[in-house]
Amino acid sequence: MNIQAVVRQYILEKHLRGEYSQGFEDTTPLISSGIIDSIGVLDLVNFIEGRFKIEFMPREIAPHNLETVEQIHLAIQKKLDTKSGVSSNP
Amino acid sequence: MPEPDDKLLHHWLRRTSETQPTLPAILEDERVTTFSQLFDDAQCLSRALTKRGLSKGDRVALLLPKSTEAITSLFAVLMAGAIYVPIQPRWPAERIQSTIEDCAPRFVIKVSEGGLVIVDCADGEQMPWRDMLAAPHGVCPEPDVAPDDPAFILFTSGSTGKPKGVVISHRAVGAFVKWSAEEFQLRREDRIACPSPLSFDLSTFDVFNMALVGAACVLVPDQVVWMPRFLTQFVAEQRITVWYSVPSILAGMLNEGGFARGSYPDLRVILFAGEVFAGRNLAKMQAVIPHALYANLYGPTETNVITWYRVPSGFEPSKPIPIGKACPYAEVMMDSSSGALLARGESVMSGYWNRPEETEQAFVEVSGKRFYCTGDRVSLTDSGDYVYLDRLDRQVKRRGFRIELGEIEAALLRHAEVLEAAVIACQNQKEQTMIAAFVRRCPESTLSLVDMKTFCAQFLPSYSMPDRILFVEAMPKGNRGKIDYAALKKLYVEKLNDEYPGGCSPVHP
Repeated sequence: MNIQAVVRQYILEKHLRGEYSQGFEDTTPLISSGIIDSIGVLDLVNFIEGRFKIEFMPREIAPHNLETVEQIHLAIQKKLDTKSGVSSNP
Repeated sequence: MPEPDDKLLHHWLRRTSETQPTLPAILEDERVTTFSQLFDDAQCLSRALTKRGLSKGDRVALLLPKSTEAITSLFAVLMAGAIYVPIQPRWPAERIQSTIEDCAPRFVIKVSEGGLVIVDCADGEQMPWRDMLAAPHGVCPEPDVAPDDPAFILFTSGSTGKPKGVVISHRAVGAFVKWSAEEFQLRREDRIACPSPLSFDLSTFDVFNMALVGAACVLVPDQVVWMPRFLTQFVAEQRITVWYSVPSILAGMLNEGGFARGSYPDLRVILFAGEVFAGRNLAKMQAVIPHALYANLYGPTETNVITWYRVPSGFEPSKPIPIGKACPYAEVMMDSSSGALLARGESVMSGYWNRPEETEQAFVEVSGKRFYCTGDRVSLTDSGDYVYLDRLDRQVKRRGFRIELGEIEAALLRHAEVLEAAVIACQNQKEQTMIAAFVRRCPESTLSLVDMKTFCAQFLPSYSMPDRILFVEAMPKGNRGKIDYAALKKLYVEKLNDEYPGGCSPVHP
């Protein structure tokens, strides 16, 4: 499953709806740019948790951990790896 | 409790630190700060700032997240007879800068890479907060502060783009806090949650009741406040006894946070203010905690709470919850022509900072008495309770945050490629306020949504950002060539209904 695609689709539908979403990349800052506000981040977290069946702890959802699609992907992957017992350290 | 006629906020803290020095004043995550620690630190900081030149009436900007240090700092400022100005660090840089320029502080306390620092605005020197606290300072004579002297300035959205500062005196906030302590029987055993930012007047209940009655003030971390699952857990684990917040936070816990599955035997007082609480959500809350006292508190930042309504058990959830009757320290009446609620009394602001004309315009004279015009249209029930109807102007509440639609328009119009901008508010099927902006760009513009949002984020705080931005080829106009907001609302409602069948309804003009 392509985690980035799922996250990208969610953001496009929820926050960049319409035909004018050019400029949205996996490295586009989402929060500091105003694309997603602080409540939007938490809605996003709720969505991710539901969709990927993971649970974040309060400290893990600080905005600076979730600033880009890329970072969000890494956060989700880390959680999935922990869940399935895969070590994140090589 | 301190002497009934002691109206100075820092005296309350001093008295409480003498009578119960070792009891917890502030709880922040695992950290506990006792009353004597809080008082001593605040006093040390106050003396250090005074030695460096802080004088009565000076402003100190607190560019800090809500924390033990922020609360210590605010008491330190009050002890020096100065005025604290809380500014949210997450505001756009430009907004922070213009607010600082407006209030012209003597010091700014902020977070920097190495920790908290205090910036001396006279010479630009930055001193670590910890060092200032620890520095020897000797004894300073206590400044002669009067109850009508300003205690703090809260900046709120202005309709033209520049936030305006509401100046509140010791007496004004004291009137509300003392009444609330008595009415809700607050006591030292209470654990009062502090979910609101210090720049929001709801926080005055949490912080100053801590000082007044000696209750513990339990800081709710930002990432927990708006995360219903975490918040529900927090309220139970922290054994919160008194809660005061905007209804959206309560609704979140109920609808998404599994609140109904838990038990909260300690939670005995639940107060809400800042926006309309849907009756069916309140009914759900009462079903979970039937033993608690529920009350709707009403009042803009300019007056703090001026009316209130105790919600009876078994109230009718389909009817709007009244804003009730005047608090004992306030007098309210309905303006005969506009239907707006007018208010006067001890809790009313001293005025807008640096804006004498706007201050003058905010008040009206009726039968020789000067009333503040809230701008909220109300009606009166047979039982003498006021009921909120809508706004006279273009201010809306979304999640309890006060938003001026004109401010959003002003931000959009700052972009060189935006020719026209119009912002409307409506409610979705969950009775949540949604804000939509319509923008007409100049012909060759390639402005995207990402560009537009990024641009606005330079000027608008996160909570003011529109939910949707729609680019249009033409703006509907009325007979006199002015933007037809009703037509835009209709357009938006239709669009939302297409995307989310089930309905939306426009919110007031």
